[in-house]
Amino acid sequence: MLKFRKKPSCTPAPDGTCTCCRKVALVGNPNVGKSVLFNALTGAYVTVSNYPGTSVEVSRGTVLVNGVQCEIVDTPGMYSILPITEEERVAREILLHESPDVVVHVLDARNLERMLSMTLQLIEAGLPVILVINIMDEAERMGISIDIPLLQEKLGIPVVGTAAAKKRGLQELKEIIVGDGHSKNAVFGYGKRLEADLLEIMSLMAGSYTISKKSLVLLLLQRDEEVAAIVRETEGAEFAAIEEKVREKMFARRASFHLELSLERKAVVKGILDGVFFASAERNQVMGERLSGWAVRPLTGIPLLLAALYFGLYKFVGEFGAGTLVDFLEGVVFEGYISPWMVSLFNTIIPWETLRDLFVGEYGIVTLGLRYAIGIILPIVTTFFLFFSVLEDSGYFPRLALLVDRLFKKIGLNGRAVIPMVLGFGCDTMATMVTRTLETVRGRIIATLLLALAIPCSAQLGVILALLAKIPGALAVWSASMILVFLLVGLLASRVVPGESPMFYMELPPMRLPQFSNVLTKTYSRVQWYLVEIIPLFILASFLLWLGKITNFLQVVVSWMKPVMALIGLPQETAVAFIFGFFRRDYGAAGLYDLQTSGILDARQLTVAAVTLTLFVPCIAQFLIMLKERGTKVAVSIAVLVSLVAFTSGYLLNEFLFLTGIL
Amino acid sequence: MKCCFCGYEFDEREADSGCRGCPLNSGCKMLKCPRCKYENPPEPALVRKIKKLCKNFGRLI
Repeated sequence: MLKFRKKPSCTPAPDGTCTCCRKVALVGNPNVGKSVLFNALTGAYVTVSNYPGTSVEVSRGTVLVNGVQCEIVDTPGMYSILPITEEERVAREILLHESPDVVVHVLDARNLERMLSMTLQLIEAGLPVILVINIMDEAERMGISIDIPLLQEKLGIPVVGTAAAKKRGLQELKEIIVGDGHSKNAVFGYGKRLEADLLEIMSLMAGSYTISKKSLVLLLLQRDEEVAAIVRETEGAEFAAIEEKVREKMFARRASFHLELSLERKAVVKGILDGVFFASAERNQVMGERLSGWAVRPLTGIPLLLAALYFGLYKFVGEFGAGTLVDFLEGVVFEGYISPWMVSLFNTIIPWETLRDLFVGEYGIVTLGLRYAIGIILPIVTTFFLFFSVLEDSGYFPRLALLVDRLFKKIGLNGRAVIPMVLGFGCDTMATMVTRTLETVRGRIIATLLLALAIPCSAQLGVILALLAKIPGALAVWSASMILVFLLVGLLASRVVPGESPMFYMELPPMRLPQFSNVLTKTYSRVQWYLVEIIPLFILASFLLWLGKITNFLQVVVSWMKPVMALIGLPQETAVAFIFGFFRRDYGAAGLYDLQTSGILDARQLTVAAVTLTLFVPCIAQFLIMLKERGTKVAVSIAVLVSLVAFTSGYLLNEFLFLTGIL
Repeated sequence: MKCCFCGYEFDEREADSGCRGCPLNSGCKMLKCPRCKYENPPEPALVRKIKKLCKNFGRLI
């Protein structure tokens, strides 16, 4: 779609591109001031059109510099020349197929070390690169200084420091763009082994390409299918030998090529920046950076994690959300006003007791389903998601992934599994779906098992925290039981399920003070989704329980479960909470809340019930996802194993507590 | 939008892959990051409307 057009001085092609002047492509990460630079170079009127065959918009404009007409192309943000998103694909497409005369790589001076890796990739690709270090004014204010002439010498390409918003450095940049001497040869290299491997594959390639063969081979080794198609087309019959060699090298480095390449590039960047980049002492004092360092080191990271859990989960979600707020909403609003009013209303409009029970009876839609959903679950999930959003917005989760990576490797996972585990505290069903993003089948099975077994969802966790917080020592027993079962089952599973744990690495985004508006928006969005999902399910569960009651089926199931309940030292009424739990984990927890408020459980029984119910078989939705994601055999095995572990743990814990008299 | 886990910036249109086939998909509006697959909550319609109103109000002033 064409939005603005100013008649340029040279003839544009039908797609809006210009064919007769010097083409300059601006590339770089998002948010580095690329568009500000583009506007500063081209002026207000530009052509904005969708890149052919995509919905990605590309801006083009022209500028006359020293009598040379230049077409400036503002490419979509990209992090690497190995694309993931459509934007990145379009940006690379422009580099590969439009053959720009100059590629201006714009990066943020404050994040030079992190972004310079892409400069290396562009130089390595043999593109005529100019490096623009933007936002220099902010960097200087932060106490950062960069030796630009030395950096230029080390990289072998022109380097300009700019502050595009203040038009600083633009004239120098324009002159370099229209000047000569844009080197296309990289002056750096990787380790001997990698260079030898690259050379071996490159020697098999005879065709000519728009980017260097070295760059192409690196992309082939990273399984870039678009590049594979280009090489296949160019090399024809010879491609089979190249493909075979690539496969051979990939197999030799199967677990670690991405990591190895990333580390090699980091080492090159470190070498280049030695003597170039200086950060003053004040910069090192930034709290976020210091906190980030503490969060990933076990010695400081574990106490920090425990402190976050104590204040965030125990005090805020457990005591305030599940205690104060639930007492008010459920105890005062529902029990005091809504339920009595609804009971009297339904007494007048429905004369048949059985039908009336569907709405306001023991398992009624209003007196049980809506009371659980709004009176008990809503305040808990709201406080939980507030706490969760604060941690999320601060950038703590990727640090947690690094912190637990070593521990998770012992249970057959790696730090990446923190993503489904953390999401599991929100909803285990969705988290089970997310396990498909783990690298190995083994990792997916172990993560699915641990999610089904030992990761309580937010509402279940909140109710349990609130119930156990009132009994001294109960919460410690519950926490120790959960951690023990999680680690023991994980250790056993990692030995039973064959395979290896893949390497884990990730680039850490900066740690920052959570933004109030972000936290509120995320919490609102999650609570809205949660309510939309749970209210219909709670109504359905109430209906099924009512049906079970009037057909006597519920009492039959409760009597079936009586021996199991007796085995773990619980009264038979507790079976109802377990039946509720199969509909939804949080529904079961709310059932436990009711049992506790009616006073039929003592401290030992409540702790045993909380442990067994947390470990007990996943809810229907989670079980369906397990079937879909892992197949019938694995899903059924996990459900059986989880039930066995839950009741065995309940039995052992009951015996232990009985013998020791701790509770 | 920016991924809450890894900080990767992506277009919301890129984010739906991986959720197809999930029984919660119809009610679930979570956006999956193309890089790390973390599920990010979208900006709610109400918040977007409020922001738009504030913007228009700001222009009027």
